[in-house]
Amino acid sequence: MSALWNNCLAKLENEISSSEFSTWIRPLQAIETDGQIKLLAPNRFVLDWVKEHHFAKLEEAIQQLSNGSLSLQLDIGSKKAIPAPAPQHTKAPDSKKSRPNFLNRAFIFDNFVEGKSNQLAKAASIQVSENIGKAYNPLLIYGASGLGKTHLMHAIGNAILQHNPSAKIVYLHSEKFVQDMVKALQQNAIDTFKEYYRGVDTLLIDDIQFFAGKERSQEEFFHTFNTLLEKKHQVVLTCDKYPKEIVGLEDRLKSRFGWGLPVAIEPPDLETRAAILMKKAMMAGVDLPQEVAFFIGKRIPSNVRDLEGALRRVIANAQFTGREITTEFTKEALHDLISLQDKLVNIDNIQKTVAEYFKIRVADLSSKNRRQSITRPRQIAMCLARELTSHSFPEIGEAFGGRDHTTVINACKRIASLRDSDVKLEEDYLNLLRTLSH
Amino acid sequence: MAEQLPLLFEHKFNLTFANFYPGKNREIIGHLKDCVSGTGEQQIYLWGNLGLGKSHLLQACCQLAQELKKTTFYYSFVADALPSTEILSGLEEYEVVCFDNIDAIAETSDWELAFFNFYNRHRDRGFKLILSSNCPPNWLTIRLPDLKTRLNWGLTLKLQELSDQESIEALAFKAKQMGFEINPTVGRFLLSHYARDLASLWRLLDRLDHATLAAKRKLTLPFLKQFLSQDESD
Repeated sequence: MSALWNNCLAKLENEISSSEFSTWIRPLQAIETDGQIKLLAPNRFVLDWVKEHHFAKLEEAIQQLSNGSLSLQLDIGSKKAIPAPAPQHTKAPDSKKSRPNFLNRAFIFDNFVEGKSNQLAKAASIQVSENIGKAYNPLLIYGASGLGKTHLMHAIGNAILQHNPSAKIVYLHSEKFVQDMVKALQQNAIDTFKEYYRGVDTLLIDDIQFFAGKERSQEEFFHTFNTLLEKKHQVVLTCDKYPKEIVGLEDRLKSRFGWGLPVAIEPPDLETRAAILMKKAMMAGVDLPQEVAFFIGKRIPSNVRDLEGALRRVIANAQFTGREITTEFTKEALHDLISLQDKLVNIDNIQKTVAEYFKIRVADLSSKNRRQSITRPRQIAMCLARELTSHSFPEIGEAFGGRDHTTVINACKRIASLRDSDVKLEEDYLNLLRTLSH
Repeated sequence: MAEQLPLLFEHKFNLTFANFYPGKNREIIGHLKDCVSGTGEQQIYLWGNLGLGKSHLLQACCQLAQELKKTTFYYSFVADALPSTEILSGLEEYEVVCFDNIDAIAETSDWELAFFNFYNRHRDRGFKLILSSNCPPNWLTIRLPDLKTRLNWGLTLKLQELSDQESIEALAFKAKQMGFEINPTVGRFLLSHYARDLASLWRLLDRLDHATLAAKRKLTLPFLKQFLSQDESD
């Protein structure tokens, strides 16, 4: 940073409010050349604001500090920052002409924790990485946010590169595809764009639901997709739902996405959640006792990102206080999170949500009604109360019309067994779990 | 003697970690410093009630980033007055980005999507993101699930409320930064007779600074009582 700009910042920070200074002045990057100081703003919005509200002050300060020898110019741009080492993107060996593949090397099959909820998706992903373009093409992994779809996608790319370091692989988010296409259209470079995407060996596109409503992008993606499949090159897609359910996606795309293997990822069960936590802790160099992993897993039933967030809190707190990670310590470290979760998810809330979902009255759940249309939702609600709250069996029984604790235990067993055999009930249960966990 | 009119100026002293009263929030300060300096978390989500110092801490992060010669950007969102999403353009190249009141973008679909895209671009580069809000990520009314889960991903920290004793100390600490003194008696009086929430107290402090300057008086209990009674009658 130029010494003059440093002095200018020091002068202005006493003349402009701290918040204004942090937003409009501090982010400017200075390039000093002969007779001129050029300040770069990150975008047009900041540039215009600075020009309108702060130009005079800036100019005056620069004139004063340079004894009138420097003039001021404002522009959009950035002196390139040095990327932090955190996510390591791999580059294809022949990268002179190609750009980075945007694969995150940290996401590999070895550190993807497998459980009942994701084993099919992992197995299919491994198959694809070992039989490019032949096993399942396209491979479509779908499921709610934060369950590991992106991890599997990167793992496929990294495994392919391991077998064949010169493979041309590109990972990108669907929005990036759209942005690149818009840019290509603006710059009259659509042919280069087409050539680039149609020339890869494996195309990994994340979150295709964001194509919804973008007709021109869908059209272009449709042709890219067809070209790659014709050449028997691999396409891997992820989506937050089964593509047929996406509103605003063309039917021909929906149909093509289903050509290969659509495979679902479900929220992880308790054992898998605990295993994920232990694996993540191990990767962070922390020894997480199993009972602590189960404690966190039980309190955070939703998705892997939430689990990671809770684990970060525990590790950060342990490192700051120098204390050992025990269940008691974890309760303290996650106190805020847990008490908030309890406020969000309580028996009343569960009963209300379940009643709404099955279109019955909340009072039915506590009634003596024994029709299956009522008993099944009641059992589900009891089971959810057991899974999502810290209430005991007797307390849950009490909240459901003063029932005995053995009724709650039986309800939980019944639902656990039905979840294995009844696909519809499993889907209902997971939908409710997701609704209540967010 | 005519009252001396003070120059109308906003307090422009730089908000840094050194001039933040830590109270029970020393751990949070440690995590923020580590994050900015590059050894800590990639993402911190800070939440807590109004007046606890979220904006101060975020701006202190920017100040530290500047000292460390890192590129940094800060923006404080205001609900119903969101800027164009173009403000996010190019920010993925900034090493430390701080967004205050992130809750304000909830339920605004173009902002949620734009922020989601910025988030991914910025995270891919391994740069640091520090967010603040009045509620934890799970309570945000963000409609885009992909964004909501990402906000939960990093280290979420709750700013702790100050006890009465700490509030009195914080008042004295802040007044000292502004160049005047508040003794414990005055501090206790303010807490028991004026307001307990820090946001109101900080606003009052600003006005007291002007008032003492105008009257060329120290902030004594009689002066404070006179000021507050005048304030009420106004």
